[in-house]
Amino acid sequence: MKDFRFWGLLPAHVMMALTLIVPILIIVAVSFATRGAYGGFEFSFSTEAYRQILFNEGWTGELEFNPQYLLIIGRTVILAALTTLICMALAFPVAYWITLQGRTARVILLFMVTLPFWVSMIVRVYAWLIILGNEGVIEKALKLTGLVTDIDTLLFNSGAMLVGMVYSYIPLMILPVFASIEKLDPALIEASHDLHGSRAVTLRRVILPLCWPGLAAGAILVFVPCLGAVLEPILLGGGKIMMMGNLIQMQFGGARNWPFGAAIAILLMVLVMVFLLLNGLRATRRAMEEMT
Amino acid sequence: MKKTLLTTAAMLALAGAAQAEGKLNVYVWSDSIAPELIEKFSAAYDVDVTVDGYNSNEDLLTKLQAGASGYDLATPSQHFVKILIDEGLLEDISAHDLAAYGQVDEKWRGQWWDPENDYSIPIAYGTAGFTVNRDVYDGPVDSWATYFEAPDALKGKIASLNYPDEVVGAAQLYLGVEFCSEDPTEMKKVYDLLAAQKPDVAVYASDNIENRIGSGEVGAHFWWDGNSLRTRKNDGAPIEFAMPKEGLVGWLDSMVVPAGAANVENAKLFMNFMSEPENATIQYNYYAHSSPVELDLEKAEYTPENAPELFPTVPVEFSKACSPAAQDLVTKVWTQLLQ
Repeated sequence: MKDFRFWGLLPAHVMMALTLIVPILIIVAVSFATRGAYGGFEFSFSTEAYRQILFNEGWTGELEFNPQYLLIIGRTVILAALTTLICMALAFPVAYWITLQGRTARVILLFMVTLPFWVSMIVRVYAWLIILGNEGVIEKALKLTGLVTDIDTLLFNSGAMLVGMVYSYIPLMILPVFASIEKLDPALIEASHDLHGSRAVTLRRVILPLCWPGLAAGAILVFVPCLGAVLEPILLGGGKIMMMGNLIQMQFGGARNWPFGAAIAILLMVLVMVFLLLNGLRATRRAMEEMT
Repeated sequence: MKKTLLTTAAMLALAGAAQAEGKLNVYVWSDSIAPELIEKFSAAYDVDVTVDGYNSNEDLLTKLQAGASGYDLATPSQHFVKILIDEGLLEDISAHDLAAYGQVDEKWRGQWWDPENDYSIPIAYGTAGFTVNRDVYDGPVDSWATYFEAPDALKGKIASLNYPDEVVGAAQLYLGVEFCSEDPTEMKKVYDLLAAQKPDVAVYASDNIENRIGSGEVGAHFWWDGNSLRTRKNDGAPIEFAMPKEGLVGWLDSMVVPAGAANVENAKLFMNFMSEPENATIQYNYYAHSSPVELDLEKAEYTPENAPELFPTVPVEFSKACSPAAQDLVTKVWTQLLQ
């Protein structure tokens, strides 16, 4: 029986190794290789790519500490975190409202949440170019109110980028949050009210803690892809400031520095793993506390 | 049972072989080949053509470097032809023996990127400069100063590309810095110019340019001659392609065969086909970039009178294949600009 468990799962393990582990190992290998003159790489060991993350030759040729890549990385993390927070704040009430609907309505609403995924990401981001663009819906609406008469453009700034990111990833937050709210026992809320807990207290001390696993799962699903977002910064942000995804793309393209691109990709992965580990540790600690 | 399987396998193998004979996988600049020519070629030679597009030479280089791209024909610009040859990524097809070579204008033969004409047959050439929207800006456009040191009407309404290649080239022309300079102090000047321009730049983007400049959302956009011409003629946009006295950045795209391509003969057929005067003219009228091969002048749509974009009156400087040291400086300029 135990044998079967091993052999039966073997195809899955082989698949995992071939499609996940091996490619990552290749990236690690490339990050320690030497760059080729016109892109590509040569198999000779070098830690040059990692040094380059922190230290670069200045305009006068001397090696100096240069925080430009740290700035890009920090900015990416902040943008991803902001997106996650906004998604949480918006998704929670939406998900809660959906759980309160009748059975059919619930199914339809959930289907509608996933609907955007049937359309290509590029098309969805382009849609925001039209919505936010000159003579777009928002600009026209603002002008109709008469409050604003002259708008230069709503596009090509960090705000537009954030809007696009939240829009792209919010379904990934709504679904797990919905799942956790759905499991919420209404009796617990009643109990809280019976014990003179106000609405705010019930929300803060009963509902949110019980829904935390769903929020945490949603946070991971949103935060992680945000770190690597490429489209929104270019199309909606106007490409004026670089994000990590664009930085990596550039190293494999114009900059012809594959090892450095790979090194940044590894750094991105390590960041994600640290985030996941912290999240996991927290969840375990919480579970331990509940048990004792 | 076994027999059926074997027969099926044999039939599949045969079918596979038959299909491979009539195939051509083309990887070219997006929307760069007239669709009617693809159809005509397919019908004439019974070849199944698939066309994929790229938007930068770097995309092409990266794909070919990664290996086994499956493409039989590509159209890199001159400096990338040189790099691809040096990297051993192109098939030596003795291009000088092809009928197509006989059609190529003398001045495009034996150039530095392919001195013996072993690898490439040119298909189109043109320039990179900037286009202004005349509803937004009505001042002079005879210098890169208009673009890099924006007058009041263009402040906040400048658009650049989202990769450095030609933008840095233009800045070098304006400053009198050599292309592919390896001198950090010279390149620092390029950086300073672009950094000073940045507050006036609305967007760094290489897509959707037609809309942005045609609608007047921006007043000046870094762009290519033929694209500007097409938008002006087809959409009636009030735009003008500038002729800066410091010069334009030149490019010439050539048809080449990636090393190890499966359908080399079909690729050669396609090169000959595209270079026949009749087809080259159809291509010229569709793509609206200058043609390096002989045209049927009766049917060619563009003349210096109706298409001044294609007939520059200022010097044209062709992009070069930069050394890694020079390329690093270009990357440094761009990274610091967008950091």
